[in-house]
Amino acid sequence: MDREQKRLLKEIMEISFVLVETSLYLDTHPNDQRALSLHNTYSQKYSELISQYENRYGLITNTGISGYPWNYINDPWPWEINFDIS
Amino acid sequence: MNKTYHYDKENEWILARAYVPFQIMNQVFSPNEALKNGTLFPELYRPYELKPNKGYGGAYYG
Repeated sequence: MDREQKRLLKEIMEISFVLVETSLYLDTHPNDQRALSLHNTYSQKYSELISQYENRYGLITNTGISGYPWNYINDPWPWEINFDIS
Repeated sequence: MNKTYHYDKENEWILARAYVPFQIMNQVFSPNEALKNGTLFPELYRPYELKPNKGYGGAYYG
């Protein structure tokens, strides 16, 4: 797994966490427009990152569209990634 | 009678009430900081600090 792939994956995890936070906040503050636009901005960013990642490295979830052959099973497995080196 | 609470009607003790202030979003962490800190919101960021052991069960974090 090269540096760039790891960097992308980390960024996906970061944005994904922000979306957890904004969505939980919005559950109790549905009329907060700033929070909503923050959420939507990061949601857009998230979709872009996912398609960027999947185009280069294969599926990140089983629900995506795969080229031939099926690339969801591409290495490395999540537990084989060393995130210490950034 | 409910022995757990030892609720004495004659003394008119008031039971505990929970109070949670309503959060209003202000500044937020960057995604990188948020993931590291475990929260997007600076007002909710309270890292654990291990206090010296007082010799009895549990420790106070705050």
